[in-house]
Amino acid sequence: MKPRERFLMAIKHEEPDRVPQLIRLGRWVTERLSPIFGFSKEEQGAYMGEDLGPRIGNDAIVCQIGINATMETSVGNVADGETFTNEWGIVFKRLGGHNKPVKRPLAKKEDLDTYQWPDPKDPRKFVQIERVMKKYHDDYAIIVDLSSCLLEASYIHMARGSMEEFFFELYDDPDWVGKVLDGLANYYSALGTNAINEGVDVIRIGDDIGGQNNLLISPSLWRQLVKPRLGRMIQAFKRANPEIIVLYHSCGDFSLVFDDLIEVGVEFISTMQPTGAQADYGGIKKRYGDKLAFKGGLCTQQLLPNGTPLQVREEVKKLIRAYAPGGGYVFMPAHMVYEDVPTENIWAMIEALKDYGKYPIKICQA
Amino acid sequence: MADLSNLARMVEKGKHLEAAKLTKELLDQGMDPNQIILEGLQKGLLTLGELFKRNECFIPEVLLAARAMHAGMDLLRPLLVGTDAKPLATIVLGTVKDDLHDIGKNMVGMMLEGGGFRVLDVGVNVSPEQFMESVQKEDAAILAMSALLSTTMPYLKTTIEALKSNGMRDKVKVLVGGAPVTEEYAKEIGADGYASDAASAIDKAKELLGISA
Repeated sequence: MKPRERFLMAIKHEEPDRVPQLIRLGRWVTERLSPIFGFSKEEQGAYMGEDLGPRIGNDAIVCQIGINATMETSVGNVADGETFTNEWGIVFKRLGGHNKPVKRPLAKKEDLDTYQWPDPKDPRKFVQIERVMKKYHDDYAIIVDLSSCLLEASYIHMARGSMEEFFFELYDDPDWVGKVLDGLANYYSALGTNAINEGVDVIRIGDDIGGQNNLLISPSLWRQLVKPRLGRMIQAFKRANPEIIVLYHSCGDFSLVFDDLIEVGVEFISTMQPTGAQADYGGIKKRYGDKLAFKGGLCTQQLLPNGTPLQVREEVKKLIRAYAPGGGYVFMPAHMVYEDVPTENIWAMIEALKDYGKYPIKICQA
Repeated sequence: MADLSNLARMVEKGKHLEAAKLTKELLDQGMDPNQIILEGLQKGLLTLGELFKRNECFIPEVLLAARAMHAGMDLLRPLLVGTDAKPLATIVLGTVKDDLHDIGKNMVGMMLEGGGFRVLDVGVNVSPEQFMESVQKEDAAILAMSALLSTTMPYLKTTIEALKSNGMRDKVKVLVGGAPVTEEYAKEIGADGYASDAASAIDKAKELLGISA
Protein backbone atom coordinates (compact mmCIF):
# COMPACT_ATOMS: atom_id res chain seq x y z
CA MET A 1 0.00 0.00 0.00
CA LYS A 2 1.32 3.42 -0.90
CA PRO A 3 1.87 5.86 1.99
CA ARG A 4 -0.64 8.31 0.51
CA GLU A 5 -3.39 5.70 0.34
CA ARG A 6 -2.60 4.55 3.89
CA PHE A 7 -2.72 8.11 5.23
CA LEU A 8 -5.98 9.06 3.50
CA MET A 9 -7.71 5.80 4.38
CA ALA A 10 -6.93 6.31 8.05
CA ILE A 11 -8.31 9.86 8.04
CA LYS A 12 -11.50 8.51 6.44
CA HIS A 13 -11.93 6.11 9.36
CA GLU A 14 -10.91 3.00 7.48
CA GLU A 15 -8.26 0.53 8.58
CA PRO A 16 -5.28 0.51 6.20
CA ASP A 17 -2.43 -2.03 6.40
CA ARG A 18 -0.86 -0.22 9.33
CA VAL A 19 -1.20 2.97 11.38
CA PRO A 20 0.23 5.80 9.29
CA GLN A 21 3.00 7.98 10.66
CA LEU A 22 3.96 11.63 10.47
CA ILE A 23 6.86 12.53 12.73
CA ARG A 24 8.04 16.12 12.47
CA LEU A 25 11.64 16.72 13.41
CA GLY A 26 13.09 20.00 14.62
CA ARG A 27 16.04 21.57 12.87
CA TRP A 28 18.80 20.09 15.03
CA VAL A 29 17.32 16.61 15.10
CA THR A 30 17.10 16.74 11.31
CA GLU A 31 20.78 17.62 11.22
CA ARG A 32 21.56 14.80 13.64
CA LEU A 33 19.63 12.11 11.76
CA SER A 34 20.39 13.17 8.18
CA PRO A 35 23.90 11.67 7.94
CA ILE A 36 22.47 8.27 8.97
CA PHE A 37 20.50 8.33 5.71
CA GLY A 38 23.30 9.75 3.62
CA PHE A 39 22.12 13.36 3.40
CA SER A 40 24.75 16.05 3.65
CA LYS A 41 23.97 19.29 5.46
CA GLU A 42 23.68 21.07 2.10
CA GLU A 43 21.20 18.52 0.76
CA GLN A 44 18.83 19.17 3.65
CA GLY A 45 18.34 22.65 2.23
CA ALA A 46 16.12 25.36 3.59
CA TYR A 47 13.12 23.07 3.99
CA MET A 48 14.05 20.79 6.77
CA GLY A 49 13.27 17.16 6.62
CA GLU A 50 11.37 17.22 3.35
CA ASP A 51 13.38 14.24 2.08
CA LEU A 52 14.24 12.82 5.47
CA GLY A 53 10.58 12.31 6.50
CA PRO A 54 9.86 9.58 3.95
CA ARG A 55 13.10 7.84 4.91
CA ILE A 56 12.04 7.52 8.55
CA GLY A 57 8.68 6.11 7.47
CA ASN A 58 6.43 9.18 7.27
CA ASP A 59 3.37 8.77 5.07
CA ALA A 60 2.81 12.48 4.42
CA ILE A 61 4.91 15.56 3.73
CA VAL A 62 4.17 18.98 5.20
CA CYS A 63 4.79 22.29 3.42
CA GLN A 64 4.55 25.21 5.83
CA ILE A 65 3.50 28.54 4.30
CA GLY A 66 1.75 30.49 7.08
CA ILE A 67 3.02 33.13 9.44
CA ASN A 68 4.98 30.53 11.45
CA ALA A 69 7.06 29.55 8.43
CA THR A 70 9.47 32.27 9.47
CA MET A 71 10.00 30.54 12.78
CA GLU A 72 11.59 27.45 11.35
CA THR A 73 12.69 28.10 7.79
CA SER A 74 14.14 31.43 6.71
CA VAL A 75 16.58 31.71 9.58
CA GLY A 76 19.61 30.15 7.94
CA ASN A 77 21.72 33.29 7.84
CA VAL A 78 20.54 35.09 10.95
CA ALA A 79 23.02 35.08 13.81
CA ASP A 80 21.94 34.96 17.44
CA GLY A 81 20.94 38.41 18.68
CA GLU A 82 20.37 39.80 15.15
CA THR A 83 17.02 40.98 13.83
CA PHE A 84 15.21 40.45 10.53
CA THR A 85 11.87 41.49 9.03
CA ASN A 86 9.53 39.11 7.23
CA GLU A 87 6.83 39.64 4.60
CA TRP A 88 4.25 40.43 7.30
CA GLY A 89 6.33 43.36 8.53
CA ILE A 90 7.13 41.54 11.76
CA VAL A 91 10.61 42.23 13.12
CA PHE A 92 12.09 39.14 14.74
CA LYS A 93 15.13 38.83 16.95
CA ARG A 94 16.99 35.54 16.88
CA LEU A 95 17.53 34.45 20.49
CA GLY A 96 18.80 31.11 21.70
CA GLY A 97 17.74 29.29 18.53
CA HIS A 98 14.23 30.81 18.48
CA ASN A 99 12.70 33.89 16.92
CA LYS A 100 11.14 36.45 19.21
CA PRO A 101 8.88 39.03 17.57
CA VAL A 102 10.22 42.39 18.75
CA LYS A 103 8.08 44.63 16.55
CA ARG A 104 4.51 43.75 15.69
CA PRO A 105 2.83 45.32 12.67
CA LEU A 106 -0.41 46.04 14.56
CA ALA A 107 1.16 47.24 17.80
CA LYS A 108 -0.99 50.37 17.76
CA LYS A 109 -4.67 49.98 17.03
CA GLU A 110 -4.62 52.57 14.24
CA ASP A 111 -1.92 50.53 12.45
CA LEU A 112 -4.74 48.30 11.23
CA ASP A 113 -6.18 51.10 9.05
CA THR A 114 -3.05 51.28 6.87
CA TYR A 115 -1.68 47.74 7.20
CA GLN A 116 -0.77 46.03 3.94
CA TRP A 117 -1.60 42.34 4.29
CA PRO A 118 0.88 40.01 2.56
CA ASP A 119 0.10 38.84 -0.98
CA PRO A 120 -1.66 35.43 -0.90
CA LYS A 121 -0.36 34.84 -4.44
CA ASP A 122 3.29 35.49 -3.51
CA PRO A 123 5.07 32.89 -5.70
CA ARG A 124 7.69 32.26 -2.99
CA LYS A 125 4.99 30.58 -0.92
CA PHE A 126 4.39 27.95 -3.60
CA VAL A 127 7.94 26.96 -4.59
CA GLN A 128 8.14 24.12 -2.08
CA ILE A 129 4.57 22.94 -2.72
CA GLU A 130 5.22 22.69 -6.47
CA ARG A 131 8.49 20.82 -5.95
CA VAL A 132 7.06 18.40 -3.39
CA MET A 133 3.91 17.77 -5.47
CA LYS A 134 6.02 16.83 -8.48
CA LYS A 135 8.45 14.66 -6.57
CA TYR A 136 6.23 12.96 -4.00
CA HIS A 137 2.51 13.31 -4.64
CA ASP A 138 2.17 10.01 -6.52
CA ASP A 139 3.21 8.20 -3.37
CA TYR A 140 2.75 10.49 -0.37
CA ALA A 141 -0.06 12.63 1.04
CA ILE A 142 0.76 16.33 0.84
CA ILE A 143 -0.29 18.66 3.66
CA VAL A 144 -0.12 22.43 3.41
CA ASP A 145 0.27 24.00 6.83
CA LEU A 146 -1.10 27.53 7.28
CA SER A 147 -0.07 27.90 10.95
CA SER A 148 -0.67 30.11 12.78
CA CYS A 149 -3.93 31.49 11.56
CA LEU A 150 -6.20 33.47 13.86
CA LEU A 151 -5.88 33.88 17.62
CA GLU A 152 -2.29 32.60 17.83
CA ALA A 153 -1.14 34.72 14.90
CA SER A 154 -2.64 37.71 16.72
CA TYR A 155 -1.20 37.11 20.16
CA ILE A 156 2.24 35.93 19.08
CA HIS A 157 3.04 37.90 15.97
CA MET A 158 0.66 40.64 15.05
CA ALA A 159 -1.43 42.53 17.48
CA ARG A 160 -0.59 45.07 20.18
CA GLY A 161 2.72 45.15 22.02
CA SER A 162 2.51 41.80 23.80
CA MET A 163 0.34 38.77 24.44
CA GLU A 164 -1.03 40.45 27.58
CA GLU A 165 -1.96 43.63 25.76
CA PHE A 166 -3.73 41.62 23.07
CA PHE A 167 -5.62 39.63 25.70
CA PHE A 168 -6.83 42.89 27.24
CA GLU A 169 -8.27 43.91 23.86
CA LEU A 170 -10.37 40.73 23.80
CA TYR A 171 -12.41 42.43 26.53
CA ASP A 172 -11.66 46.14 26.02
CA ASP A 173 -12.25 46.29 22.27
CA PRO A 174 -13.59 43.03 20.81
CA ASP A 175 -14.68 44.87 17.66
CA TRP A 176 -11.07 45.78 16.90
CA VAL A 177 -9.97 42.20 17.62
CA GLY A 178 -12.72 41.08 15.22
CA LYS A 179 -11.26 43.27 12.49
CA VAL A 180 -7.77 41.85 13.03
CA LEU A 181 -9.18 38.31 12.87
CA ASP A 182 -11.17 39.24 9.73
CA GLY A 183 -7.95 40.40 8.04
CA LEU A 184 -6.23 37.14 8.97
CA ALA A 185 -9.21 35.01 7.94
CA ASN A 186 -9.43 36.76 4.56
CA TYR A 187 -5.72 36.38 3.89
CA TYR A 188 -5.65 32.72 4.92
CA SER A 189 -8.83 31.88 3.01
CA ALA A 190 -7.12 33.16 -0.15
CA LEU A 191 -3.74 31.59 0.64
CA GLY A 192 -5.31 28.23 1.49
CA THR A 193 -7.48 28.31 -1.64
CA ASN A 194 -4.39 28.90 -3.77
CA ALA A 195 -2.61 26.00 -2.08
CA ILE A 196 -5.63 23.73 -2.56
CA ASN A 197 -5.61 24.61 -6.27
CA GLU A 198 -2.11 23.08 -6.44
CA GLY A 199 -3.82 19.72 -5.76
CA VAL A 200 -2.73 19.05 -2.17
CA ASP A 201 -4.60 16.53 0.00
CA VAL A 202 -4.87 18.21 3.38
CA ILE A 203 -5.01 21.81 4.52
CA ARG A 204 -3.79 22.35 8.05
CA ILE A 205 -5.14 25.24 10.09
CA GLY A 206 -2.98 25.82 13.13
CA ASP A 207 -4.08 28.07 15.94
CA ASP A 208 -2.79 27.41 19.46
CA ILE A 209 -5.71 27.93 21.81
CA GLY A 210 -4.88 25.26 24.38
CA GLY A 211 -2.87 25.60 27.56
CA GLN A 212 -1.46 22.75 29.63
CA ASN A 213 -4.83 21.74 31.12
CA ASN A 214 -7.44 24.02 29.62
CA LEU A 215 -8.17 26.57 26.89
CA LEU A 216 -6.17 29.80 27.00
CA ILE A 217 -9.30 31.92 26.62
CA SER A 218 -12.85 31.12 27.63
CA PRO A 219 -14.83 28.92 25.24
CA SER A 220 -17.58 31.54 25.04
CA LEU A 221 -15.12 34.21 23.92
CA TRP A 222 -13.58 31.79 21.42
CA ARG A 223 -17.05 30.99 20.08
CA GLN A 224 -17.87 34.64 19.72
CA LEU A 225 -14.63 35.87 18.14
CA VAL A 226 -12.78 32.98 16.51
CA LYS A 227 -15.23 30.23 15.60
CA PRO A 228 -17.23 32.13 12.92
CA ARG A 229 -14.02 33.21 11.19
CA LEU A 230 -12.65 29.69 11.30
CA GLY A 231 -15.91 28.50 9.78
CA ARG A 232 -15.60 31.04 6.97
CA MET A 233 -12.07 29.89 6.16
CA ILE A 234 -13.18 26.26 6.02
CA GLN A 235 -16.10 27.13 3.73
CA ALA A 236 -13.66 28.85 1.35
CA PHE A 237 -11.45 25.74 1.35
CA LYS A 238 -14.40 23.44 0.66
CA ARG A 239 -15.51 25.71 -2.20
CA ALA A 240 -12.07 25.29 -3.77
CA ASN A 241 -12.23 21.51 -3.35
CA PRO A 242 -15.16 19.81 -1.59
CA GLU A 243 -12.93 16.78 -0.97
CA ILE A 244 -10.17 18.71 0.78
CA ILE A 245 -9.44 17.38 4.26
CA VAL A 246 -9.32 20.09 6.93
CA LEU A 247 -6.86 19.40 9.73
CA TYR A 248 -7.02 21.66 12.77
CA HIS A 249 -4.06 21.85 15.12
CA SER A 250 -3.61 23.33 18.54
CA CYS A 251 -1.03 22.56 21.16
CA GLY A 252 -2.27 21.94 24.68
CA ASP A 253 -5.69 20.72 25.78
CA PHE A 254 -8.39 22.18 23.54
CA SER A 255 -10.97 19.44 24.04
CA LEU A 256 -13.53 21.98 25.32
CA VAL A 257 -14.18 23.05 21.72
CA PHE A 258 -13.97 19.72 19.84
CA ASP A 259 -17.74 19.79 19.26
CA ASP A 260 -17.48 23.33 17.87
CA LEU A 261 -14.65 22.32 15.54
CA ILE A 262 -16.76 19.44 14.22
CA GLU A 263 -19.62 21.87 13.69
CA VAL A 264 -17.57 24.20 11.45
CA GLY A 265 -16.27 21.33 9.29
CA VAL A 266 -13.04 20.12 10.91
CA GLU A 267 -12.62 16.37 10.42
CA PHE A 268 -9.04 15.77 11.55
CA ILE A 269 -7.25 17.22 14.62
CA SER A 270 -3.76 17.27 16.05
CA THR A 271 -1.52 17.00 18.04
CA MET A 272 -3.42 15.59 21.02
CA GLN A 273 -1.05 16.73 23.77
CA PRO A 274 -1.68 14.16 26.52
CA THR A 275 -2.48 16.65 29.29
CA GLY A 276 -5.72 17.83 30.90
CA ALA A 277 -8.79 16.05 29.54
CA GLN A 278 -6.75 14.81 26.57
CA ALA A 279 -4.74 12.52 28.84
CA ASP A 280 -7.71 10.15 28.62
CA TYR A 281 -7.06 8.77 25.11
CA GLY A 282 -9.77 6.15 25.37
CA GLY A 283 -12.39 8.64 26.50
CA ILE A 284 -11.54 11.07 23.70
CA LYS A 285 -11.70 8.32 21.06
CA LYS A 286 -15.00 7.04 22.41
CA ARG A 287 -16.62 10.46 22.52
CA TYR A 288 -15.33 11.99 19.27
CA GLY A 289 -13.85 9.06 17.32
CA ASP A 290 -16.74 8.72 14.85
CA LYS A 291 -16.50 12.36 13.78
CA LEU A 292 -12.82 13.21 14.18
CA ALA A 293 -9.61 11.55 13.08
CA PHE A 294 -6.68 12.15 15.42
CA LYS A 295 -2.98 12.72 14.90
CA GLY A 296 -0.39 12.86 17.66
CA GLY A 297 -0.49 12.05 21.34
CA LEU A 298 3.00 10.89 22.33
CA CYS A 299 4.29 13.00 25.21
CA THR A 300 7.12 15.34 24.24
CA GLN A 301 7.28 17.14 27.58
CA GLN A 302 8.46 14.22 29.74
CA LEU A 303 8.53 10.88 27.97
CA LEU A 304 10.44 11.48 24.74
CA PRO A 305 13.25 13.61 26.20
CA ASN A 306 13.55 11.91 29.60
CA GLY A 307 12.02 8.43 29.32
CA THR A 308 13.72 5.16 28.45
CA PRO A 309 13.25 3.40 25.10
CA LEU A 310 11.14 0.76 26.91
CA GLN A 311 8.85 3.42 28.37
CA VAL A 312 8.51 4.96 24.91
CA ARG A 313 7.50 1.57 23.46
CA GLU A 314 4.89 1.06 26.15
CA GLU A 315 3.31 4.45 25.56
CA VAL A 316 3.22 4.00 21.77
CA LYS A 317 1.42 0.71 22.40
CA LYS A 318 -1.08 2.43 24.69
CA LEU A 319 -1.78 5.16 22.15
CA ILE A 320 -2.34 2.67 19.33
CA ARG A 321 -4.65 0.54 21.48
CA ALA A 322 -6.79 3.57 22.31
CA TYR A 323 -6.78 5.57 19.10
CA ALA A 324 -6.14 3.21 16.19
CA PRO A 325 -8.99 0.63 16.14
CA GLY A 326 -11.35 1.37 13.24
CA GLY A 327 -8.88 3.79 11.66
CA GLY A 328 -8.98 7.52 12.35
CA TYR A 329 -5.47 7.71 13.75
CA VAL A 330 -2.11 8.94 12.51
CA PHE A 331 0.80 8.34 14.84
CA MET A 332 2.88 11.37 15.82
CA PRO A 333 4.47 12.85 18.92
CA ALA A 334 2.46 15.68 20.50
CA HIS A 335 4.89 18.23 19.11
CA MET A 336 7.94 18.44 16.89
CA VAL A 337 10.82 16.32 18.11
CA TYR A 338 13.44 18.66 19.52
CA GLU A 339 17.14 18.27 20.19
CA ASP A 340 16.66 17.06 23.76
CA VAL A 341 15.20 13.75 22.51
CA PRO A 342 17.84 10.99 22.37
CA THR A 343 18.15 9.19 19.04
CA GLU A 344 17.42 5.86 20.78
CA ASN A 345 13.99 7.15 21.84
CA ILE A 346 13.22 8.28 18.28
CA TRP A 347 14.10 4.80 17.10
CA ALA A 348 12.14 3.14 19.89
CA MET A 349 9.02 5.08 18.87
CA ILE A 350 9.38 4.20 15.17
CA GLU A 351 10.07 0.53 15.93
CA ALA A 352 7.17 0.29 18.38
CA LEU A 353 4.84 1.68 15.73
CA LYS A 354 6.05 -0.98 13.29
CA ASP A 355 5.58 -3.72 15.88
CA TYR A 356 2.18 -2.75 17.27
CA GLY A 357 0.66 -0.66 14.48
CA LYS A 358 -0.36 -3.43 12.04
CA TYR A 359 -4.08 -3.77 11.31
CA PRO A 360 -6.09 -5.40 12.63
CA ILE A 361 -4.82 -4.04 15.94
CA LYS A 362 -4.18 -6.91 18.33
CA ILE A 363 -2.98 -5.50 21.62
CA CYS A 364 -4.36 -6.98 24.79
CA GLN A 365 -5.21 -4.77 27.74
CA ALA A 366 -2.16 -4.50 29.97
CA MET B 1 -21.48 53.59 49.06
CA ALA B 2 -18.09 52.03 48.51
CA ASP B 3 -17.17 49.00 50.55
CA LEU B 4 -14.30 46.53 50.53
CA SER B 5 -16.26 43.54 49.29
CA ASN B 6 -17.50 45.59 46.37
CA LEU B 7 -13.91 46.58 45.56
CA ALA B 8 -12.80 42.95 45.72
CA ARG B 9 -15.64 42.06 43.37
CA MET B 10 -14.62 44.73 40.84
CA VAL B 11 -11.03 43.41 40.84
CA GLU B 12 -12.34 39.89 40.40
CA LYS B 13 -14.39 41.02 37.41
CA GLY B 14 -11.38 42.85 35.96
CA LYS B 15 -13.05 46.28 36.05
CA HIS B 16 -9.98 48.48 36.42
CA LEU B 17 -11.73 51.86 36.12
CA GLU B 18 -14.29 50.93 38.77
CA ALA B 19 -11.54 49.48 41.00
CA ALA B 20 -9.63 52.77 40.88
CA LYS B 21 -12.79 54.76 41.56
CA LEU B 22 -13.79 52.62 44.56
CA THR B 23 -10.25 52.71 45.95
CA LYS B 24 -10.37 56.50 45.85
CA GLU B 25 -13.79 56.57 47.50
CA LEU B 26 -12.62 54.29 50.31
CA LEU B 27 -9.57 56.47 50.86
CA ASP B 28 -11.81 59.54 51.00
CA GLN B 29 -13.90 57.78 53.63
CA GLY B 30 -10.69 57.57 55.67
CA MET B 31 -9.98 53.88 55.34
CA ASP B 32 -6.46 52.61 56.01
CA PRO B 33 -4.61 52.01 52.70
CA ASN B 34 -3.25 48.70 53.98
CA GLN B 35 -6.73 47.46 54.69
CA ILE B 36 -7.87 48.50 51.22
CA ILE B 37 -5.01 46.50 49.71
CA LEU B 38 -5.42 43.38 51.82
CA GLU B 39 -9.19 43.09 52.04
CA GLY B 40 -10.10 44.69 48.74
CA LEU B 41 -7.54 44.67 45.95
CA GLN B 42 -5.48 41.60 46.80
CA LYS B 43 -8.50 39.63 47.90
CA GLY B 44 -10.12 40.11 44.50
CA LEU B 45 -7.09 38.85 42.62
CA LEU B 46 -6.58 35.91 44.97
CA THR B 47 -10.18 34.80 44.48
CA LEU B 48 -9.59 34.70 40.76
CA GLY B 49 -6.31 32.83 41.28
CA GLU B 50 -8.26 30.13 43.09
CA LEU B 51 -10.79 29.92 40.26
CA PHE B 52 -7.91 29.60 37.78
CA LYS B 53 -6.37 26.82 39.83
CA ARG B 54 -9.66 24.90 39.49
CA ASN B 55 -9.87 25.55 35.71
CA GLU B 56 -12.90 27.78 36.32
CA CYS B 57 -11.52 30.88 34.63
CA PHE B 58 -9.00 31.63 31.93
CA ILE B 59 -5.74 33.52 31.44
CA PRO B 60 -7.14 36.83 30.13
CA GLU B 61 -9.49 37.08 33.11
CA VAL B 62 -6.57 36.72 35.54
CA LEU B 63 -4.66 39.39 33.61
CA LEU B 64 -7.65 41.73 33.74
CA ALA B 65 -7.99 41.22 37.50
CA ALA B 66 -4.29 41.94 37.98
CA ARG B 67 -4.68 45.14 35.96
CA ALA B 68 -7.61 46.16 38.15
CA MET B 69 -5.62 45.44 41.30
CA HIS B 70 -2.77 47.59 40.00
CA ALA B 71 -5.15 50.42 39.13
CA GLY B 72 -6.00 50.63 42.83
CA MET B 73 -2.46 49.95 44.07
CA ASP B 74 -1.09 52.82 41.99
CA LEU B 75 -3.24 55.22 44.00
CA LEU B 76 -2.21 53.74 47.34
CA ARG B 77 1.51 53.18 46.85
CA PRO B 78 2.55 56.82 47.46
CA LEU B 79 0.61 56.74 50.73
CA LEU B 80 2.49 53.69 52.00
CA VAL B 81 5.94 55.33 51.84
CA GLY B 82 7.16 55.88 55.36
CA THR B 83 4.54 53.63 56.95
CA ASP B 84 5.49 50.28 58.41
CA ALA B 85 3.74 48.42 55.60
CA LYS B 86 6.33 45.93 54.40
CA PRO B 87 6.16 43.17 51.81
CA LEU B 88 6.37 39.60 53.13
CA ALA B 89 9.69 39.08 51.32
CA THR B 90 11.43 39.77 48.02
CA ILE B 91 11.17 37.24 45.21
CA VAL B 92 13.38 37.35 42.12
CA LEU B 93 11.41 35.93 39.20
CA GLY B 94 12.45 35.05 35.65
CA THR B 95 12.39 32.61 32.72
CA VAL B 96 15.56 30.59 32.23
CA LYS B 97 18.18 30.98 29.53
CA ASP B 98 17.18 30.36 25.90
CA ASP B 99 13.50 30.42 26.85
CA LEU B 100 11.43 33.41 25.72
CA HIS B 101 8.06 32.43 27.21
CA ASP B 102 6.74 34.92 29.69
CA ILE B 103 2.97 34.95 30.11
CA GLY B 104 2.89 32.20 32.73
CA LYS B 105 5.82 33.75 34.52
CA ASN B 106 4.10 37.15 34.46
CA MET B 107 0.94 35.66 35.93
CA VAL B 108 2.95 34.10 38.75
CA GLY B 109 4.51 37.52 39.39
CA MET B 110 1.13 39.25 39.52
CA MET B 111 -0.27 36.63 41.84
CA LEU B 112 2.75 36.76 44.18
CA GLU B 113 2.37 40.52 44.35
CA GLY B 114 -1.29 39.99 45.12
CA GLY B 115 -0.16 37.63 47.86
CA GLY B 116 1.87 40.39 49.49
CA PHE B 117 5.37 39.74 48.16
CA ARG B 118 7.71 42.19 46.50
CA VAL B 119 8.46 40.72 43.08
CA LEU B 120 11.48 41.65 41.00
CA ASP B 121 10.83 40.33 37.50
CA VAL B 122 14.15 39.94 35.68
CA GLY B 123 12.52 38.93 32.39
CA VAL B 124 13.15 36.07 29.95
CA ASN B 125 16.29 34.33 28.65
CA VAL B 126 17.97 34.89 32.03
CA SER B 127 21.36 33.25 32.56
CA PRO B 128 22.35 31.62 35.87
CA GLU B 129 24.80 34.50 36.41
CA GLN B 130 22.06 37.11 35.96
CA PHE B 131 19.78 35.25 38.37
CA MET B 132 22.54 35.10 40.99
CA GLU B 133 23.40 38.76 40.58
CA SER B 134 19.77 39.80 41.13
CA VAL B 135 19.29 37.51 44.12
CA GLN B 136 22.37 39.00 45.74
CA LYS B 137 21.56 42.60 44.88
CA GLU B 138 17.95 42.39 46.03
CA ASP B 139 18.69 40.18 49.02
CA ALA B 140 15.90 37.92 47.78
CA ALA B 141 14.41 35.23 49.99
CA ILE B 142 13.13 33.24 47.01
CA LEU B 143 14.34 32.70 43.49
CA ALA B 144 11.39 31.70 41.30
CA MET B 145 12.26 30.30 37.88
CA SER B 146 10.11 29.28 34.94
CA ALA B 147 10.87 27.06 31.93
CA LEU B 148 8.31 26.29 29.25
CA LEU B 149 10.38 24.06 27.00
CA SER B 150 11.68 20.59 27.68
CA THR B 151 14.88 21.82 26.01
CA THR B 152 15.34 24.72 28.45
CA MET B 153 14.24 22.90 31.62
CA PRO B 154 17.84 21.75 32.27
CA TYR B 155 18.75 25.42 32.93
CA LEU B 156 16.70 25.20 36.13
CA LYS B 157 19.20 22.65 37.30
CA THR B 158 22.18 24.58 35.92
CA THR B 159 21.12 27.64 37.91
CA ILE B 160 20.69 25.63 41.11
CA GLU B 161 24.16 24.14 40.57
CA ALA B 162 25.57 27.64 40.01
CA LEU B 163 24.00 28.80 43.30
CA LYS B 164 25.68 25.86 45.03
CA SER B 165 29.12 26.42 43.59
CA ASN B 166 28.94 30.09 44.53
CA GLY B 167 28.02 29.37 48.10
CA MET B 168 24.55 30.90 47.71
CA ARG B 169 22.33 27.84 47.81
CA ASP B 170 21.58 28.08 51.54
CA LYS B 171 20.73 31.77 51.36
CA VAL B 172 17.78 31.55 48.97
CA LYS B 173 14.85 29.20 48.46
CA VAL B 174 14.30 28.02 44.90
CA LEU B 175 10.80 27.71 43.48
CA VAL B 176 10.30 26.29 39.95
CA GLY B 177 7.44 25.94 37.50
CA GLY B 178 6.41 25.85 33.84
CA ALA B 179 4.36 23.51 31.66
CA PRO B 180 6.82 20.59 31.34
CA VAL B 181 8.11 20.91 34.94
CA THR B 182 6.78 18.47 37.51
CA GLU B 183 7.01 18.04 41.29
CA GLU B 184 9.20 15.02 40.67
CA TYR B 185 11.59 16.92 38.41
CA ALA B 186 11.79 19.77 40.92
CA LYS B 187 12.85 17.30 43.63
CA GLU B 188 15.34 15.62 41.32
CA ILE B 189 17.17 18.87 40.53
CA GLY B 190 17.21 19.98 44.16
CA ALA B 191 14.65 22.80 44.03
CA ASP B 192 12.88 23.66 47.29
CA GLY B 193 9.44 23.83 45.78
CA TYR B 194 7.26 23.42 42.71
CA ALA B 195 3.95 25.07 41.87
CA SER B 196 1.66 24.05 39.04
CA ASP B 197 -0.18 27.37 38.76
CA ALA B 198 0.08 30.99 39.84
CA ALA B 199 -2.20 30.71 42.88
CA SER B 200 -0.36 27.66 44.18
CA ALA B 201 2.88 29.62 43.86
CA ILE B 202 1.73 31.93 46.68
CA ASP B 203 1.00 29.01 49.00
CA LYS B 204 4.32 27.41 48.15
CA ALA B 205 6.29 30.63 48.63
CA LYS B 206 4.68 31.16 52.05
CA GLU B 207 5.32 27.55 53.01
CA LEU B 208 9.00 27.82 52.04
CA LEU B 209 9.44 30.88 54.25
CA GLY B 210 7.38 29.51 57.12
CA ILE B 211 4.72 32.21 56.77
CA SER B 212 1.30 31.03 57.87
CA ALA B 213 -1.30 31.28 55.13
